[in-house]
Amino acid sequence: MSGRQASVHAKWIIGQVIGTKMKKTAKVRVTRLVLDPYLLKYYNKRKTYFAHDALEQCTVGDVVLLKALPEKRSKHVKHELADIVYKVGQVVDPLTGKRVAGKQYLEPLTESTEDAEVSLTEKLGQLNITASAPPSPS
Amino acid sequence: MPMKGRFPIRRTLEYLQKGEIVFKKTVKIMTVNYNTHGDLSEGARKFVFFNIPQIQYKNPWVQIMMFKNMTPSPFLRFYLDDGEQVLVDVEGKHHKEITQHVRKILGKSDKVLEAEALAKMELSNPANFGPKKYFLRECMSEVEGQVPHPGLVPLPKEMTGKYRAKLAAVSDD
Repeated sequence: MSGRQASVHAKWIIGQVIGTKMKKTAKVRVTRLVLDPYLLKYYNKRKTYFAHDALEQCTVGDVVLLKALPEKRSKHVKHELADIVYKVGQVVDPLTGKRVAGKQYLEPLTESTEDAEVSLTEKLGQLNITASAPPSPS
Repeated sequence: MPMKGRFPIRRTLEYLQKGEIVFKKTVKIMTVNYNTHGDLSEGARKFVFFNIPQIQYKNPWVQIMMFKNMTPSPFLRFYLDDGEQVLVDVEGKHHKEITQHVRKILGKSDKVLEAEALAKMELSNPANFGPKKYFLRECMSEVEGQVPHPGLVPLPKEMTGKYRAKLAAVSDD
């Protein structure tokens, strides 16, 4: 036999968590696009995977990234949780880094301009620009 | 009788095989986030409608997932083998621009594709004969212009074995 083979064909997969009732294990549903041979159209085909989640940080409905373990942890668990991509209810927009709900931002995109103006005038006042020449050291 | 659906050409093998994007080996997952309404997501919606089947046909081992109405702006996200993630903003872009961009960053270039096609051709020599599964022809009788199989068309008398044997016997005497 030439070397050890990976435990699973798929190294990285993304799926949605459907169950967390097991201890330190998340049930993840993964959908792949499969071509119907007659219609020639792609449909989602579901498959459930079990993933090891050491810190029990998944809730039902999260979208998670799973990584294949080098060897099977138990009869069904062959993957571990690599990263929670979108946490349900607390989706963070990767482009801006702000929290988002559907089509709206929950956090304001820019800092409010009023504060910036006030602090600018305060800072100018503190500068104390005078026309008098400084005393020459001698 | 025309095909059913809005753009049924998307459901033809010829259209699927014309897909331009063949991903590099490191790309494992592709995720598309887009919105169902709004002008800024129009390009992304067209991309999902027209180009995703082509991409999946050419890359059967890449997992492609679509997410609708999760964020205000549309984007693509690729997950590579070494854990790296590539984020592509597609807000306001035309779907052809999106495919060109993706092809440039993560697709195999024309040269690489040609080299691969050439290597594949070299493996299968059309001059060889054998089972239909692996070769073009099984027997010389299948080639046009050659003697056809006697099971289909009887051989002319001069070519049959028993006539030749009889001739040989007569000439020996």
